[in-house]
Amino acid sequence: MKKFVNEPANFVPEFMKGVLLANPGLLEFIPEFQLIKRTDRPAENKVSVVQGSGSGHEPAHIMAVGPGMLSAACQGPVFAAPPVDACYETIKSVATDAGVLVLVNNYQGDRMAWDMACEMAEAEGIKVKQFIINDDVSVEDSLYTVGRRGVAGNFFVIKACGAAAEAGADLDTVLAVAEKVNANVRTMGVALTSCIPPAKGTAIFEIGDDEMEVGIGIHGEPGRRRDKIKNADAITDELFDAVAQDLPYTSGDRVALMINGLGGTPISELYVLYARAHERAEQAGLTVVRNYVGEYCTSLEMAGASLTLLKLDGQLEEYLDAPAEVAVRIF
Amino acid sequence: MTEITIEQVEQAIDVASDTVIRNEIYFSDLDGLAGDGDFGTSLATGFKVIKADLPTLDKSAIGAMLLKISMLCSKHVGGSSGPIWGTGFMKAGMASKDKTSVSLEELAAMVNAAVEGIMARGGAKLGDKTLLDALIPIAEKMKELAPAGDAAAMLKAVTEVADKAIDETRNLVAHRGRASQVGERSANTPDPGIVGVATILYDWCKHYGVDYTPTAAELNR
Repeated sequence: MKKFVNEPANFVPEFMKGVLLANPGLLEFIPEFQLIKRTDRPAENKVSVVQGSGSGHEPAHIMAVGPGMLSAACQGPVFAAPPVDACYETIKSVATDAGVLVLVNNYQGDRMAWDMACEMAEAEGIKVKQFIINDDVSVEDSLYTVGRRGVAGNFFVIKACGAAAEAGADLDTVLAVAEKVNANVRTMGVALTSCIPPAKGTAIFEIGDDEMEVGIGIHGEPGRRRDKIKNADAITDELFDAVAQDLPYTSGDRVALMINGLGGTPISELYVLYARAHERAEQAGLTVVRNYVGEYCTSLEMAGASLTLLKLDGQLEEYLDAPAEVAVRIF
Repeated sequence: MTEITIEQVEQAIDVASDTVIRNEIYFSDLDGLAGDGDFGTSLATGFKVIKADLPTLDKSAIGAMLLKISMLCSKHVGGSSGPIWGTGFMKAGMASKDKTSVSLEELAAMVNAAVEGIMARGGAKLGDKTLLDALIPIAEKMKELAPAGDAAAMLKAVTEVADKAIDETRNLVAHRGRASQVGERSANTPDPGIVGVATILYDWCKHYGVDYTPTAAELNR
C-alpha cells in the first residue's frame, strides 16, 4: 500500500499541523497534548463542548472544532484513545463557569480515558458532564465496545450541542440536546475493503474482491455478516431497512438523511447510495428535510459507506441550520 | 502496630517499576496470545518515567506521591492500561491523602479503594479474566490479615492469591478488554494483567526476603 507518510510515529501531529495551518486564526494547536481548540474559547457564560478519540476517522474529531461545533478536541494515535492527561487538558483548555460537556463515542478506551479526565477536572473544581454516543445499530456488542458503537451520528450530536452552546444554553440543556439527538439517530455501515493503518501498513482484515462486510465498524470491527457484494440499490436497501426499523422511524417523521463515506469511496458512488436512500425514505412516508452526503466519520481509506437517519423536531431543525464553521470546507 | 512509611512505599514502587521494565517483552508476548500485544510496552513506557521521576516527586504525604504517580500513568501509559493503573494509584492516593505512614489496616483500605475504582472505571467484575481476578481477592485477603500486624505474612499470602489466580483464570474466556474480542481464543492463555500483578508481588517477596515458592509456570520461568 502506498501512503503519504513521513515517519509513521509523526503521522498524527503532522496532519494536525496541516489542519492548523489551513485554518489560520480560527484554531490553536497544542502539540504536547495533540489538542486543537478554538482561539475564541473559552468564552464567558458559554458551555464548551469537547471530544477526543483515536485518529483515522477524519474529519472527526479535531476537524469538527470551530464556531458552532466543538470548542476543542484531542487526538489519540490511529484507532487508539488519547491518553488521560490529553483529555484532561482538553477539558481544562476550554473550561468556563458555564461548564464543559464531553461527548464520548462508545468505545471502551475512550470511555475510560474521559471518565478519569472528568474526575480529575471535577477535583479541580471544573463543572463537567459526559455523554456517551451509540448510534450504530449493527451489533449489540463488538470489538472495543460494550453496547452499541458510536459512529457517524456523532456529527449530528456535535452540531446540535454546538449550536445550543453557542446560543447560550446551560450545561443541563446542552446535555439534554445530546440525549435527544442520540435517542433519535441510527446508523449502519458497509465495507467493501479493509482500512490500512499507517503504522501497520497492511489491511487489518481479509475480505474477498467479491465480498462485503455488512454492519462494519469504523476500526474494521466485524459487523452482522459477510456476503457476496450486491448492487448499490440492494446494499442501500439493507442499510436503510436495518436503520429505519430500529427506532423505529414512522410515516410522517421529518428526518435528516446522511450518507457518510468511509474514506475510500468516490463521492459519486455516495450519491448513488443517497439517491436510493432518499427514495426509500419517501416511500416509507418520511420527509427528508435535511441531507448530508460526504465524509464525516471515516476509517482511513476503507471503501464503504454508512447510512444515518435522524428524526427531527423544530428545535433540532433549528440547531442543524445554525451557522457553523469547521476545518472541512469546499470553498 | 506495624507502620508502612512513605519511604517504604516509594521503595516498593521502585522495585515494581524494575519488575515491569524487565518484563516488557514478556508481558507483551503474553498479551499477544489473545490481545493486541502492547500491554508490556504500554506499562513499561509509563514505569520507566515513574522510576526516573520517583526521587524528585512530591513526598509531603503518601497520597501526594501516589497522585503524582497516577498523573504519570495517565500521561505515559497508553491504551486502557493508562486509565486502569492511573485510577488505582489515584484512589489509593485519595485514601492516604495526608498520611506519611499507614497501618496495615490503612494499607488494606488503600488497596480496596484502588480495586473499587478500577472496577467502576472499566466495568469489569470477578471472573471477566482481567487483573481484577487477582486484585479483588488480594484486597479481601489484606483486610482479613491486616489486624495481625505481620507485613511479611500478608505479602506472602497475597502473592499466593495472585499466583493461584493465574491458573484459576487460565481457562476462562475474557469478557472485558482487548482479549474479549478473540472470544474463545482467550481460553488456555493466562491474563497478562494477572501475571503482571503476581510478578510484582513475587518480586517484592524476593526483595524483602519473604520466602515463597510459586506454582504458576509464568512465575517459575
